[in-house]
Parts: sequence; C-alpha cells; structure tokens
Amino acid sequence: MSEFAIEFQGVCKSFRRQEVLRGTTLQVEKGKTFAFLGRNGAGKTTAIGLMMGLLKRDAGEIRVLNLDPATHPVEVRRRVGYLAEDQTMYGWMRCEEILRFMAPFYPTWDHQLALQYAKDFEVPLATRIKHLSKGQNVRLGLVLALAHRPELVILDDPALGLDPIMRKQFNRDLITHLQGQGRTVFYSSHLLYEVEPVADEVAILDHGQIVRHAETEDLRRDVKQISLSREAAGLLANQARILDQRPDGDEVAIIVEEAPEVILALEQEGIEHQVVDLNLDEIFEAYVAGRKPEQAATQRVAGPCEVTT
Amino acid sequence: MIIRIEKGSAVPISSQIAEQIATLCASGKLASGDRMPSVRELARELAVNQNTILRVYERMVREGLLEMRHGQGTFVAEDAAGLTRSAHRKRLTEELRHVARQGVALGLDADDLHELLTAALEQVLRLARSNPKTQAKIEVTK
Repeated sequence: MSEFAIEFQGVCKSFRRQEVLRGTTLQVEKGKTFAFLGRNGAGKTTAIGLMMGLLKRDAGEIRVLNLDPATHPVEVRRRVGYLAEDQTMYGWMRCEEILRFMAPFYPTWDHQLALQYAKDFEVPLATRIKHLSKGQNVRLGLVLALAHRPELVILDDPALGLDPIMRKQFNRDLITHLQGQGRTVFYSSHLLYEVEPVADEVAILDHGQIVRHAETEDLRRDVKQISLSREAAGLLANQARILDQRPDGDEVAIIVEEAPEVILALEQEGIEHQVVDLNLDEIFEAYVAGRKPEQAATQRVAGPCEVTT
Repeated sequence: MIIRIEKGSAVPISSQIAEQIATLCASGKLASGDRMPSVRELARELAVNQNTILRVYERMVREGLLEMRHGQGTFVAEDAAGLTRSAHRKRLTEELRHVARQGVALGLDADDLHELLTAALEQVLRLARSNPKTQAKIEVTK
C-alpha cells in the first residue's frame, strides 16, 4: 500500500442528484509525475477536492500519503503542496507579505526556500497580489505550494490561462524543482499535448470514471487507427476493444486498444489493412468523445455505487 | 545542438529526439567524442521529462550511437556517423517506397516518377548552392 502516494478505490461523489464520480479507482505511484486528464466537468476538480479533504465522499476509499483525507484533513494538507484551480489570494497583500502570512500554517515551512523559489520563478516580492499577471499569480501559488517541502504536490490545472512561453517555463520549473528531486506530482489538465512531454503516466477521467491509465508512451503504442473493409471490421468487433469507428468509403476506420495484437492477428489472417499512428489529442478524443451517451448510461447502471447518506 | 519538439505530433517525443540526434550524428554536426548535454540539462532545455531523455540516451547507447562513460557523461560514439547513415538510408528507402506507392495509385508510370524526383532534387540543389545556410536548416529540422 505504501508505494502509492494517492489511492482511490470505488470512490463516488454526487452533488444533489448529479453524480460526478462513479466508482473512480486510481493509483499514483510515489515519485511519478502523473497527469490527470478529462474534459471540462469530467470530475477532475471534485477528485482533487476529495484528496485534499475539502469535500466528503459518498462511498469508496481514499488514501493520500496513507492518510484518509476525510478523517485527517489537516495532516494531509500539511504534507501536500496544493495549487487550486482558481488560486485566489488576498489581493491587498504584497507577495512578500503572503509568504510570511502562510509560513506559520506549516511546521516544515522553509522561508529561505520560499524566497529562493520566488526569485527563480521571478515573482515580484514588493508587488500587491491584485496587480500580478495571470502567469505571476500561478507562479506565486506554486511558491506557496512548494515552500514547505511537500512530498506530494497536487496542481489543479496549473497551465490554465498561461501563454505558450509561460507554459514551457512552467514545465521546466516542474522538471527541475520537482521531478529532479524525486517528488510525486499529480496535476490535472485538459490539454493532452501539453502534458505529454512532462508526464510519466496519464489517466483519462470521463463521466466520473477512469477510462484509461497508462504510461504516456505505452498509450501511443497501444492505441492506433486501422482502416479495413467493413466485413473485416465486423469480425474484429468481438475480439478487439474498439474505441471509435467511422465509415470511410467502402472501408471503416476503427480506433482500437491493444493495437499491436490486433495488427498481428490481421497479418496472420492475411486481411488487408492500413495502420495510422495517432497523436495524443486524437487518442484522448477517441476515449472521451467516442463514448456514446448510452454506453455511459449502461456503465452508470452497472457501476458499483451505493450512495448511503 | 538544436532539437525541435513538435507537440501534438503522431511521432512520440522520445522518437523525435532520438531521430534528431541521429540526424545530427549522420550530418557530422555531432562528431564522435563530442560530449552530449547531461540528462538534466537537456530535460530542462527541452522542457521534457528527465526519464524520457534518459530512455532516449539508453536506447542510443544500446544502438551504439552514444556511449556513457562512468562519471564523465554521455558522448557520441566512435562510429556513430556510419551507423546513422545506414539507418537513415534504410528509412529513406522506406519513405521512397511510400512515395512510389502513392505515385502508382495516382496512375503515374516509372518515367513520370523519375521526372518528379529529378525535378525535386534539382530544386534542392539549386537552393543549397544559392544559400548554404538553407541546407543546414533542412538537415537540422528534418
């Protein structure tokens, strides 16, 4: 159990009648940089809120650094660096003031380190928070999230609203200051191609469930588009997991999981086919847009959720 | 050493980096014995996961293009240029076969295809003659 920094087991969470998480199961190994992907409204921020003990789950188990955030919220927050999606800070404070303001909340706060990060991230210490740019605001939030030397860092869509140059700089900071020191980073995003260079692993959340969890490069090897005749595609329907399919003249273009095995089988059967490599956005789309509402509905019925309130 | 990463490409990032290092070796821009940037440096420069860079280096060490000297870093191997040239030849053959297949599908015959290749070649050579810098850029980005 202890090799995981974060564990979710069959977690459910509803807001009134709206189910947001439905039996979400997820494990994040220590030391990994883990990207949590999903469309807007997929449940990413809700899952993070549960991890930080800001929300109460309806069912399932959650462990963050081996602690249950529902019963030990303060201890979790002490040991985790957290950057919220809408990092709102007191606008009237100067950056330097908020650093001193935050310090007493954390027993492990290292003020020298905070000042060093502020310098590295080019945060203007004498400026009032309300006058910071979006990029400076995120970076200040990151200084506040890192200065107590957390072993796990949870970032909710940190790249949101950053321009391409700031995003690259942000990725660099992530690589140098977090990956370089062997810390676990969990961050959410809806931009697959942005997380690809940085993440060790990705998990795709859709309709409150993890539809795929894999190493970034494995995902690319595993999911491919294959064009073949309609009859051949019909044969495959029972053997392969098809994520998406569209007609293409006399042929069908299907997107499959376990592509190497499928391709091998097609070759052995001597079935004419063409393989196309996909980029990560296309793979993501196949997972979240290829799912029809009926499928989601069946999964909802079949889901293990028993809401007890 | 300039390495370009194309985001959102169908080519995985590790392959993009490996191919470009191989191209730099083949063209002589990286000569045998040259010291490669450290995993940390290159990861930071490209804003790419350190494990990805490490895997690329390890793969290229296995392929004999790079060598890791203990405590000193990673270097371009002795016969890297020769190795990459044969690998590039193989890849180019594959690409030309792909082009030929497309040509045949369009109903072109051998003469038409030869003519197109000759024309393309002339264009490239003319460009290279008029501006030596362009050639360097073609090598680096492709």
